Amino acid sequence: MKKLLLFLVILGLMTASLGALAQQEVTLSVLWFNDANESEVFEDTVKDYLEQNPHVKLDMQVIAFSEFEQKLKLMISGGNAPDLARLPTALLPVFLPTLEPVDGYVDDIEAVKAGFMPAMMAYALSPDGKMVAYPTEATGNGMLVNKTAFDKAGIDVAALSQEWTWAQWEEAARKVIDANDNIKYGLAVDFTPHRFSTILYQFGGRMLNEDLTAVAFNNPKTIEMLSWFKRMHDEELIPKSVWMGSEKANELFQAGIAAAHIGGSWNINGYSKDITDFEWMAVRNPKGEINSSVPGGKFIASFQQSPNKQEAQKLMAWFSDATHNAMYCAGTFNLTSRVDAEVNYTANKENFDTFAEDLKVTPAYAAQEWNSPLVGKASAIIREQVVQMLMGNLTPEQAAAEIDAQAAALAQ
Amino acid sequence: MHTGLSTRPRRPRGNFHQIAAPLLFLLPNMLIFVLFIIIPAFQGLRMSLTDWGIFTGSRWVGLRNFERLLSDRVFWITVQNTLVYSAATVALLTVVSLGLAMLLHRNDLRGEKAYRSAFYLPSLLSMVTVGIAWRFILGDEMGIVNYILRTLGGPGVGWLTDGGLAMASVIGVSLWAQAGYYMVIMISGLQAIPPSLYEAARIDGAGRAQTFFHITLPLLKSTLLVVMVLSNISAFKAYELITVMTGGGPGYATKLIVQQVYQVAFMEDRMGYAAAMSVALMAIIGLFTLVQFRLTGKEQDYE
Repeated sequence: MKKLLLFLVILGLMTASLGALAQQEVTLSVLWFNDANESEVFEDTVKDYLEQNPHVKLDMQVIAFSEFEQKLKLMISGGNAPDLARLPTALLPVFLPTLEPVDGYVDDIEAVKAGFMPAMMAYALSPDGKMVAYPTEATGNGMLVNKTAFDKAGIDVAALSQEWTWAQWEEAARKVIDANDNIKYGLAVDFTPHRFSTILYQFGGRMLNEDLTAVAFNNPKTIEMLSWFKRMHDEELIPKSVWMGSEKANELFQAGIAAAHIGGSWNINGYSKDITDFEWMAVRNPKGEINSSVPGGKFIASFQQSPNKQEAQKLMAWFSDATHNAMYCAGTFNLTSRVDAEVNYTANKENFDTFAEDLKVTPAYAAQEWNSPLVGKASAIIREQVVQMLMGNLTPEQAAAEIDAQAAALAQ
Repeated sequence: MHTGLSTRPRRPRGNFHQIAAPLLFLLPNMLIFVLFIIIPAFQGLRMSLTDWGIFTGSRWVGLRNFERLLSDRVFWITVQNTLVYSAATVALLTVVSLGLAMLLHRNDLRGEKAYRSAFYLPSLLSMVTVGIAWRFILGDEMGIVNYILRTLGGPGVGWLTDGGLAMASVIGVSLWAQAGYYMVIMISGLQAIPPSLYEAARIDGAGRAQTFFHITLPLLKSTLLVVMVLSNISAFKAYELITVMTGGGPGYATKLIVQQVYQVAFMEDRMGYAAAMSVALMAIIGLFTLVQFRLTGKEQDYE
């Protein structure tokens, strides 16, 4: 009997210690995409945390952004969600139902929320007010110009762009093209509704109806912008090869073929490294009816399916505090999403400030529209119909009506 | 009178092995086929009868997805594009690979192996690599071809920005990437034709054209069928090359059914509807394969 008791005690102890060991060793799977060097900087930033918590290991999976949405959807639908993932603004509403709220893992959720910019926190909240992700970096869409080419045309672009309209930009762009042999176009716009919507908002247009329940391109201001976009392509101020071909707007800008680029603030980092042939700078977006950027950003989130929710939440909280967020944003050359982080950029402070100025005057509906899953789902439809218009297959009015009609089927 | 001896002939013992052994050898392949082809196919069929979204769950909708397909203008544009792409690709691949095989199957040409390797090499590359490479070659502003054209004083050509040219470019690149692979199949078919038939034809005074149409083509029928069926299925499923080269654009110009299935499933989160499109695609491929089998007819033994 004694032997049996002793055996049971030893067995119990062994099971308990094995269980404790198993609990201690945690490998957090992280799904990531890069705009530039974000995965490297993320790993550098959390290095201290991993040293202080040796039972935690990271399994980083970095994939191309073009494959990111599909990969994550397949992982979740297969029951294999990662413990952590980097998410852009546009995908946050898509994955919202699968995210694990931060509420419940921190002592004072309101204090945590207050640490971030309200616009960024608006993206990170579920409809019932729960915080489902930590904002990491804020982004804005803005204009980057080839200063050397503007100088050669005798235009002081820094002064002109303090407050300029699209008409003034057009006049300047024509002069720049005339004065520079290699510059063939005034502007390259990324082939994505996100960057396209920057100009759309400036023209006073909207993509959704007032209560954000349906795609509503068929409104006068949006149609006015579509007509302008078509004219710019027809008059070769914007290259056809981006929206109608497969060339990248940033590559045309870097190659010195386009005088300006409407892109995201993450381009500042890339251009700092890659452009050596000419001087470039960020300028204020030209004004249409209003000034506008498109606020956005990146987030880090954990999933309801994650087997290591507790550890994932701890790591996210540590990575997102003011000190580490500042380190991450400085290393990746991004705008911080926190209100209290002091980011010491080693270069390009003026360019970041310019993007931030446009963000400050951006209307709230720009963020609200991009926070709707409708826009993300209709993105491919928007792109296709805009291209149909550029090809001359549809008028701007027909393109707007077609976008609304096709997007309506998404809700059926 | 019962003698205790059976009068019924006993089956030879080897028969069991003759029946069981092939079945056992087939079993692993059949298991893989059932697990990864048959079951997913039936799941896809079931999915096509629902309005399943990845995060929104599934609801039975019967044939509603198929009814919607009938009036979906974009779907029918992609069907038309798929038919154009596949007809052009299959025809060109068959003719070009046969032409290359005719030139390179006799082992009497100097450097023949090097030529064969050169033509076969592109088929070893992944379609993504091929797409990226040709996107750079055919780009409007930064492409190599337009750079050369402009250097020579001509205008650039919208290889990927003009709808018609974009489809032609994609077909041309498909041909470049796959002709070598089908050439190898054609060479093996040509080498299987008995030389005595050509010798007899020559003695009878047949010319080159007569020999080709009356000996080579009829005896190559089964090989041609294989090439046409394989290239047809490959054309209907062409995804990577077109996605990388043109993204299906400009507009709908190069968008095939598979690109539309991807968009509806993964970007619009309408899995059920995308599954209905896939079922329609499967039916179209099946129909075309059947027609090809019928047109090519039964193989005849000329020996």
